[in-house]
Amino acid sequence: MNKESKSYTLLYTMALVMIVGSALAYTAITLKDRQQANIDADKMRQILASVRITPAADSIVESYRHYITDSYVVDASGNRLEGDNAFDVNVGAQMRLPGGERELPVYVCTLADGSEKYILPLYGSGLWGPIWGYVSLDSDAAVVYDAYFAHQGETPGLGAEIQKPAFSSQFVGKRIFLDDRFMPVTVVKAGRAPSDGRDYVDAVSGATITSKGVADMLDNCLLPYRAFLENLSRQNQTH
Amino acid sequence: MENLNLFIRSIFIDNMIFAYFLGMCSFIAVSKNVATAFGLGVAVTFMLAITVPANYLITTYVLGPGALVWAGPEFADVDLSFLSLIVFIAVIASLTQLVEMVVEKYSPSLYASLGIFLPLIAVNCAILGGSLFMQQRGFDSVATSFCAGSGWGIGWLLAITAVAAVRERVAAYSNVPAPLRGVGITFIITALMGIAFMSFLGIKI
Amino acid sequence: MAEKISNRKVFFNPFSKDNPVLVQILGICSVLAVTVKLAPALAMGLSVIAVLAFSNVIISILRKTIPTNIRIIVQLVVVAGLVVIVSQLLQAYAYDVSKQLSVFISLIITNCILMGRLEAFAMANRPWPSFLDGVGNGIGYTIILVSVAFFRELLGSGTLFGFRVVPQALYDAGYVDNGLMILPPMALVVVACIIWVQRSFNKDLQEK
Repeated sequence: MNKESKSYTLLYTMALVMIVGSALAYTAITLKDRQQANIDADKMRQILASVRITPAADSIVESYRHYITDSYVVDASGNRLEGDNAFDVNVGAQMRLPGGERELPVYVCTLADGSEKYILPLYGSGLWGPIWGYVSLDSDAAVVYDAYFAHQGETPGLGAEIQKPAFSSQFVGKRIFLDDRFMPVTVVKAGRAPSDGRDYVDAVSGATITSKGVADMLDNCLLPYRAFLENLSRQNQTH
Repeated sequence: MENLNLFIRSIFIDNMIFAYFLGMCSFIAVSKNVATAFGLGVAVTFMLAITVPANYLITTYVLGPGALVWAGPEFADVDLSFLSLIVFIAVIASLTQLVEMVVEKYSPSLYASLGIFLPLIAVNCAILGGSLFMQQRGFDSVATSFCAGSGWGIGWLLAITAVAAVRERVAAYSNVPAPLRGVGITFIITALMGIAFMSFLGIKI
Repeated sequence: MAEKISNRKVFFNPFSKDNPVLVQILGICSVLAVTVKLAPALAMGLSVIAVLAFSNVIISILRKTIPTNIRIIVQLVVVAGLVVIVSQLLQAYAYDVSKQLSVFISLIITNCILMGRLEAFAMANRPWPSFLDGVGNGIGYTIILVSVAFFRELLGSGTLFGFRVVPQALYDAGYVDNGLMILPPMALVVVACIIWVQRSFNKDLQEK
């Protein structure tokens, strides 16, 4: 058979594409569940990290089920949306919608001492790519319990520092309501203070854009929760 | 405005050579003199500007999760994204071939100056990298993909021309230690330029 | 050219004398991007060894049947298929590593080492030598990757494989990690230094 003929080339290409295509489809399908499980476990790990729970790699799902006692989706007026699973909400995609129309996931974590923390997801952009995180609030929504930030490709040693506890632990105990006004924590250059008097943390020095990204992310992501948080603080504060 | 910003960013900040080191193989091999370097740069720019939007369309309408909805509601759950890599590379290889044929037919003079570089391009990581970044960052329109693609291309062109210019001088006038001559000193030149390009960080239009 | 070379040479030459990165200047792109830390560098090296060895064998088996005019496309498709499989496996069994390598694992496809070896060796040799050539070149590539990562992680973060090796006492005495080493351009300088050392010993590799 002439291997330079047109029909041979054509048949060869088709056979090759069929074989490679089916091999790929087979791997993709057989590994899909495992990959999804990894992605979910990674998300659970991050959610737990925002309440200072760091389980070993093989017990992430277990501790998530143990500590995260409730999760739901609210809308911008603070009403619960039925039928939506908080875990499945794509926060990045929601951020493209106007604040009033977003689906806002809330995770409720019950710690070993019985206290409840409310965990809210964040999503924004840094210098090189997306940054995201989770911030946990005390049950009266008055102060931040702790926070966790992550990034895709910020500069190591500069923007990437937001992932380290040295940065995120600054958020502990910061207020988000000042005299009943809702003002998320912001990030400013070390040694300065924001003009509107709200609580703030120090930016990572040398990483202006990433720090600004975190500040914008906190504003953009938390402001839609305003109604929900006001309800929360009214319910739980009086005791 | 958003797109203009992205375009400028892609040239200076997200520079394919200085920030990501993509397309280094042909970059090192072809940066010996300015004229050839410029020729390859133009070819890379052109290919990036057409392959990124082309692959964007393919991702959005064929490969992405739920992208086949237009073909009928029963396709809504189909997710072919595991094929994207192989499709990207095929699109790049065939577009390269196509451009080569078109240029050869309609502009022999352009072909004479550009043609020899086109086969090099199918395996230039900057081109595939452009499409992969497009997918990873979730660009949302053809215009955005085009701006980023052409920006990356121009950035690559800028980098290779600048380094070629320096290399010409270094080869003629500098007394470089023998073991560093050629490749070694090119790496160092590129590194220094990369550090210089970092001062563009944070530019916003 | 290669018919007379012994299998041993095929396997060991790429380690230094014929190193794909230092001498053939192939596959630089990924060397620079994934060498901030040792762990991803090693994972990348192993992935390249696997893809290179298997694609060499497959192309070598197919070499008599491939029509010449679609040769490059056939090679690309085989490599792309293998790369996707490796990246899917990493996502399933080593998720953290796959997150760190992100798009660079996909860029193995355009890693010139692959196309270079397929064209230069696998198309002309039998499967077993091709396999050795693939593994040898893969190891040569990994050696460079790991040694660049070694210097960058040690000097840039004071750690190796994530474990702290620079003692705390040194930091207390005023030592600081060199933040510059973490930045991408320094990878180029480290590679240049390795080339410098290697070419001082192998005088015949020096240019001009």
